[in-house]
Amino acid sequence: MNRRDLLRLAALAVPAALAGRARAQSARARRFIVFYYPDGVAGPSQEGMGSAWHPTGRDGAIQLTEQTAPLADFARDCVFFRGLSMGPTDAGSHPGGAQKLLTAVDHGQGASIDQVLAQSVGRDAPHRHVYLGAMANQNNASGDKHISYPAAGSSTPPEDDPRRAFARLFGAAPEPVADRGRQSVLDVVLADLRDLRGRLGAGERARLDLHVEAVREVERRATAVVPEACGAPESLGAVDDRLYEPERFPAILRAQTDLLVQAMACGLTKVGVIQASHHTSELVMSRFPGTPMHDPGFDMRSHQASHYGARHDPARAEFRAYVQQRAWWTQQFAHLLGELRARPEGDGTMLDHSVVLLCTEVCDGNTHLHDDMPFVLAGGAAVGVRTGRVIDVGGRRHGDLFASIGRALGAGFDRFGQDSQGPIPGLLA
Amino acid sequence: MTFQQRISILLLVLAGCDGGGSAAYDPDAPFAPGRPDADVGAPGDGAVPGADAVTVGPDARPADTRTAATLYAALCAHCHGPAGEGGAGPTLRRAWDDREALVRRIDETMPLGDPGACDRDCAETLADHLRARPWDAPPDCARFTPRRLRLLTRREYARTVRDLLPACGERTFRLDAPGARTVHVAGTFNGWAPTVDAGGWAMAASGDTWTLTRRLDPGRHLYKFVVDERDWRTDPGNPETETDAQGNVNSVVEVACEAPGDPTAGFPPETRPEGFPFDDHAGANAVTSVHVAEQLAAAERLAAAFPDCDGACAEAFARDFGRRAFRRPLTEAEVARYAPLGARTAARAMLASPHFLYRTELGTPAGDAYRLTGHETAAALSYFLWGTTPDAALDAAADAGRLDTAAGVEAEARRMLDDPRARETLGAFALQWLGVESLPTVTRDAALSDALRQDMLEETRRFVTHVAFDGGGTGELFTADYTFASPALAAYYGLAAGDPTALDARRAGLLGHGSVLATYAHSDQTSPIRRGLFVRRALLCQPLPPPPPDAGGVPDVDPGATTRERFAQHTASPFCHSCHRYIDDVGFGFERFDAVGRWRETENGLPIDGLGDMNDLEGLGTGTRAPYRSLPELGALLAESRAARRCFVTQVFRFALGRMETPDDACALDALDARLAETDDVRALLVAVAASPAFLMRAAEEEAP
Repeated sequence: MNRRDLLRLAALAVPAALAGRARAQSARARRFIVFYYPDGVAGPSQEGMGSAWHPTGRDGAIQLTEQTAPLADFARDCVFFRGLSMGPTDAGSHPGGAQKLLTAVDHGQGASIDQVLAQSVGRDAPHRHVYLGAMANQNNASGDKHISYPAAGSSTPPEDDPRRAFARLFGAAPEPVADRGRQSVLDVVLADLRDLRGRLGAGERARLDLHVEAVREVERRATAVVPEACGAPESLGAVDDRLYEPERFPAILRAQTDLLVQAMACGLTKVGVIQASHHTSELVMSRFPGTPMHDPGFDMRSHQASHYGARHDPARAEFRAYVQQRAWWTQQFAHLLGELRARPEGDGTMLDHSVVLLCTEVCDGNTHLHDDMPFVLAGGAAVGVRTGRVIDVGGRRHGDLFASIGRALGAGFDRFGQDSQGPIPGLLA
Repeated sequence: MTFQQRISILLLVLAGCDGGGSAAYDPDAPFAPGRPDADVGAPGDGAVPGADAVTVGPDARPADTRTAATLYAALCAHCHGPAGEGGAGPTLRRAWDDREALVRRIDETMPLGDPGACDRDCAETLADHLRARPWDAPPDCARFTPRRLRLLTRREYARTVRDLLPACGERTFRLDAPGARTVHVAGTFNGWAPTVDAGGWAMAASGDTWTLTRRLDPGRHLYKFVVDERDWRTDPGNPETETDAQGNVNSVVEVACEAPGDPTAGFPPETRPEGFPFDDHAGANAVTSVHVAEQLAAAERLAAAFPDCDGACAEAFARDFGRRAFRRPLTEAEVARYAPLGARTAARAMLASPHFLYRTELGTPAGDAYRLTGHETAAALSYFLWGTTPDAALDAAADAGRLDTAAGVEAEARRMLDDPRARETLGAFALQWLGVESLPTVTRDAALSDALRQDMLEETRRFVTHVAFDGGGTGELFTADYTFASPALAAYYGLAAGDPTALDARRAGLLGHGSVLATYAHSDQTSPIRRGLFVRRALLCQPLPPPPPDAGGVPDVDPGATTRERFAQHTASPFCHSCHRYIDDVGFGFERFDAVGRWRETENGLPIDGLGDMNDLEGLGTGTRAPYRSLPELGALLAESRAARRCFVTQVFRFALGRMETPDDACALDALDARLAETDDVRALLVAVAASPAFLMRAAEEEAP
């Protein structure tokens, strides 16, 4: 797709009409969204200072911190946690944290929550799972730098190009009548998969089963209808070929976020993950135009800022930049929540029908510890999430948070990952 | 161990390790009291899970069910080596008489800096593991890779379809003509030759079917088939016809040649597990719906290059193209599955079939193991050496059983190395081995233009390929006084243009390549750490543990200091230095090159100290020192290094096998290493890998319990 096509599609987009359509189509939609950013937060410091990230307070009176302040308008839509742990294994490591982040199993030896929900909540959508990145494949990032695990032990890469993602989701509308060959091809491919599967041992059979599932998903898309009004979000027009320049990062992340919301509003998917950069990020955030971090004379990278020192010291450039960066990530998450809340659905908004998770792979970026993890759960009021609170879970595993999400979304499981005890009490109505 | 204890010990380790110039961590270092407090969350409410709780997906896996070997690999191998031989930490191959003392030391101090990762149960399991001296047993040389599938990488897919698809303008003419004595093609391209003698294109018979494959020039061509030089017929397999002024009906073919784009442009990148530099890891790559959607779209686009036909023509096509696409003859059941689709749809389905997308390594039983079949061997050889599908000669060798012996495999491998495709593949290997493929996407100073980045990659591709195929031995990788810089890149380096380009005394071999120097850097400064790690990991295969918690990050850019001074200060503490001496001291010797690969005399107005120390060259913890003052001096050290040679062998082995090596591969690696030592010839090494049992044999896969 060239730039002209994109602009044409952008001109077709009618967000207000879309919102109405979403309301009509999916009053009982249940969705799950993950928004990931790299390198932790300014949490409890190495020298024992209390967390500078975690909001405090009780129901209805939450005191946000500088890093979470952009959520001021959304505090009543969010749940903040204290004492949510990813367990001791690899504590102190970015890779170890990223491997556990969505799998809740040491070393990524389990399928991730997004992929598990794609098999249940997302199952009937044309795209069971949508995984979008912003410079998440830069530096040849792979393996533990990607957070979504279709199966134990192996991550999968996100799509970093919003235009390609758009074409995949919206552009290639299937033409089931015109393309008679398509079904024949799929039938033959599935027959070949069956033949090959019969010759394999257990491990390779499991891998081929994923392939079969993927073919069936694509097969089902032939009957999916993309609503006519579903075009490109306006922010897609700001994206060009420069996918790996830090100056372009904010526009890319914005386009990917809007694209995911659009895909959900149009009923194309129910489970989506947005991955901004990757852990130990070399992203030069001081080159983001029009942001408080902007400093053209000086490169401040995400991972560099995360090592701000042993204590919270506002006199240090790294610490100031780190707090600003973390606040900026929170602001991007707030934008996602705002887009969801702007679309009416059922008796409320899309946000009420979506469970949205904000996460990063470690708590404090300097100590890299895996306790008191800075997850934020947002939305989901229509599926029983009791928002607007700070909950102290006293060291429970984050798999219990995923178990809670699974229960809210009716996914059919009550525990998730390692050492899971079940849903967090009081989180759901 | 509680969180608070964990924090305390962590701080103890940070504060209490005396280091004192010893080469490695000292497990016997005494511990002193440390900070008792750390701010942690309040106790929880101890909720009980629902009575109807079900567990799906990943089950809880308590630590005590993990095997000792798994725990060792996850927690210990980084520092103590995969087989306890030592590394950044001391060797564990010794007697451990006092079990309780060992358990306590592991529980309370290991892994160093993060003892919470191994609780008491874990410590007991590991202590028993160490006390059983598991590494005293010799490697099991007959333990092979399990039978498996290998998904084509994007590189392999793109190269394969280039070989499978008709070359631009290539057309296969086909006619069923029972009882014919001759058939030829006549048309605008040969002056409507009425006979073969007059220039008609003779077709060849197979039974009643006559075929001819010819390459046509771009443009519009009219033609007919001529049976027995008198019976003129239109092409029944081509619906396109045109009637001329005299009322004659002719078949029409249009040839338009466009430069093909990359058919895999939308395919997801391959997943590479940490520490595995190549794109072809067999176990890590699974097909998602994004892959399938892209594979189907690519198959549809690519299949359009084939003329369509039905019936016997489609069946012949399915057998012929299917054999090439699936890298083996089709079964009759498969022919019956594909032929009814018609030729073009059959091609489309084949290009989306798992038989095309995966290479099988399932083999046939051979004793307790499996030997790759002839056709699997042909494909394994072809993708290892050429990155693409077997050619007709290799296919014929498989048919004739010539690939069933190591000698036959060697003969084919030698032939294949004379083909340009072998150079192309070795070039791809080089960029992956050195980890420089990411250069086009990294954020660097604007002086490093997109064009220069491409020139740098081409330099590295050409250089490594030249050394392997035309050079004077593997040492030249590190010592060559020439390179292959484009004129623009030569000017950037401050060298006179030339092909090859003569180097000055500042650079030697691939250590001075811009691709290496600029990849292993940060956006606005050099990184002695990344450059040192590059030497350890890529060139010496000496893995180092990840930094412990609280390690700290990149030092600030200080206008009053050099990078070396800042990093030296940063890692000065004995605890940090115990690992960083293996990293920074090596990387410091690259400091005369800036973050985009240019020479510099000063940094921030200060003179640069370009002295490095290639310490512990043949193994971490060996305690050797090797000061060097320039990259040519470092290159000379690496060229003579047994560890560097062994590492090159290991990297080739990883690339060929699509997996990391295991302790049981020691026999295979020893043999290959000996071969390279004896010949100093990369081609001989490639042949030896291809003919090795590790490459050709497979083990039964474990069945599900």
